[in-house]
Amino acid sequence: MTEFIDVDVRPILRAGGEPFSIIMAAVERLEPGEGLRLYAPFKPVPLFDVMASRGFAHREAELEGGEWEIRFLPDDGSVEAAEPLPAASSDGDWPEPMVHLDNRDLDPPEPMVRILAALERLAPGQTLFALLSREPVLLFRELTKRGHQWRGDFTPQKDAYQLTVRVHA
Amino acid sequence: MIGTSLCRWAISYFAVAIVWLLLAEGLMVAGFGFPNHDIGGPDTLVIVHMVCIGWLSMVLCGALFQFVPVLVARPLYAERWTLPALVLLTLGLTALLAGFLALGGHFNGPPWLLPVGAGLLIAGFALVVANLGMTLWSARPLPGPARFVAGGLVCICVTAAFGGMFSLVLSGTAVGAQWPDLLVSGVPIHAIAGLGGWLTFTAMGVSYRLLAMFMLAPDGDERLGRLAWPAGITALAVGLVGGVLAFWRMTRLDLALLLAAAAALLSLVAYGRDVLGLYRTRKRRALELNTRMSLAALASLAAAAILGAALLAIGSFQSHVGALAFLVAFGWLTGLVLANLYKIVPFLTWLETYGPVMGRVPTPRVQDLVAERRALKWFVVFFAGSWTATLMLLFDAALGFRVAVAVVMLATLGLSEEFIRARRLADVAEPLRLPTGAAMPHLLVSRN
Repeated sequence: MTEFIDVDVRPILRAGGEPFSIIMAAVERLEPGEGLRLYAPFKPVPLFDVMASRGFAHREAELEGGEWEIRFLPDDGSVEAAEPLPAASSDGDWPEPMVHLDNRDLDPPEPMVRILAALERLAPGQTLFALLSREPVLLFRELTKRGHQWRGDFTPQKDAYQLTVRVHA
Repeated sequence: MIGTSLCRWAISYFAVAIVWLLLAEGLMVAGFGFPNHDIGGPDTLVIVHMVCIGWLSMVLCGALFQFVPVLVARPLYAERWTLPALVLLTLGLTALLAGFLALGGHFNGPPWLLPVGAGLLIAGFALVVANLGMTLWSARPLPGPARFVAGGLVCICVTAAFGGMFSLVLSGTAVGAQWPDLLVSGVPIHAIAGLGGWLTFTAMGVSYRLLAMFMLAPDGDERLGRLAWPAGITALAVGLVGGVLAFWRMTRLDLALLLAAAAALLSLVAYGRDVLGLYRTRKRRALELNTRMSLAALASLAAAAILGAALLAIGSFQSHVGALAFLVAFGWLTGLVLANLYKIVPFLTWLETYGPVMGRVPTPRVQDLVAERRALKWFVVFFAGSWTATLMLLFDAALGFRVAVAVVMLATLGLSEEFIRARRLADVAEPLRLPTGAAMPHLLVSRN
């Protein structure tokens, strides 16, 4: 069982601070075998490589409101044996999307309307995939209100935003 | 990946701003201030500050509170600061204008009106800058359009700082008496930072995203503003630093201004090229009225750049600077703002009203909240009036100017009615207008 040291960078980021040095300082203080549990207001993708180079694997879990809980575990081959993630985040494997939407050429707010309309027709736990021309920041609020979970990111070419939504179970 | 929501008070900023615009237009129609009075006189300063702070800055603040979070995909740092800022700005402007009126001998006011007004305005803008600045700070590295906003925020600080010092000089306090030359060499800096940096530069940045969104054009942040931003920042830095150095007689002001103007022209050309690029790669063939009218405003900006260069070339810049300022403030900035309000107000109203039910029941389109044919008439009247008023100033026809501004004011009233109709959902056909679960929006404040 891995012991975790908690680092919550959400208040630091909210106050406009720079969390990287604080995270690294916490990593320096870890005892052998200890892991780091990070709470962040967004998925700290660049950190994953940095931590991997220091010998940490990670497990990610999205919390409510688009915030993330990331567990960094010492990657000594024991990661597979590590405890399962909590219920809210034990959704590592979402089912294949039932609906694919290409909303890139639609006039705002039509991309949102179509996604929400399609979600209404899905059963709990089913997922939807959508391509958008930009990050749908105003949609996230509505998804949160309706209890849906989502994962999204820009495509590697940065020319579109890909969003997967899982209907409130 | 954080959601953002409607800014509760953005609509209130817009409403207050339009009231100031109408007041300023009314005063101009009545023959108050320039060109009947001296362009640097207190009466003209009343109108200039009504337009630049009351109208343009107020509307820009409201728009930025709503759109900076969208630009950087982060929530606004402190929504609760937006209403106090609105109150401070309104009180500050009122006191400042009273100070100018007292200075012009219209009533016997105390000398502290100007510094108090300036102080309140500085406090209001400080709240705005801190709020937007912290929002931007949380989103580093900044995408292209947001960097323009960051530049604009620096410039409003410079503008406000100089304004504060002027108020001390004009009020005759002992502190102000230490800088007797400040008004001469400081006014160009105040004006460049305010009109060029805060208002124009910020509007350029926001318009990149708004134009791309509404023309359905790809706006990968890489190319956009690659030349316009550094050139604009150079123009502002040269103008402001050169201006400050000139104050200490370390450089010649006109040389700094000439260099700044050249960089500004480069920035505007690059910006124009970017916008044309967006226009060419757009996927929406038939443009909506707000975009077409934004392009008309852009034409005014191009005309202003050409007019400015021409006036410099024939050596009559000083005598016609009023015409140029009017074209920038009305043809470009006011035109651009009114055109974008024509989209922003219905869009925010739509989100507020139909957001909670979207996807669940049939909802109208955003375009169903407006009647473009009716509004087009007012925009045509607005631009025709603004351009005519500019010509009248160039020909020193004071009465013609007042008539032209009356036309502009009529158009402003007409467009205001269109905005109110959009808030009231007056043009939405009945079965879709208020589906179950949707509530009628308030006129002056949003639910969020």
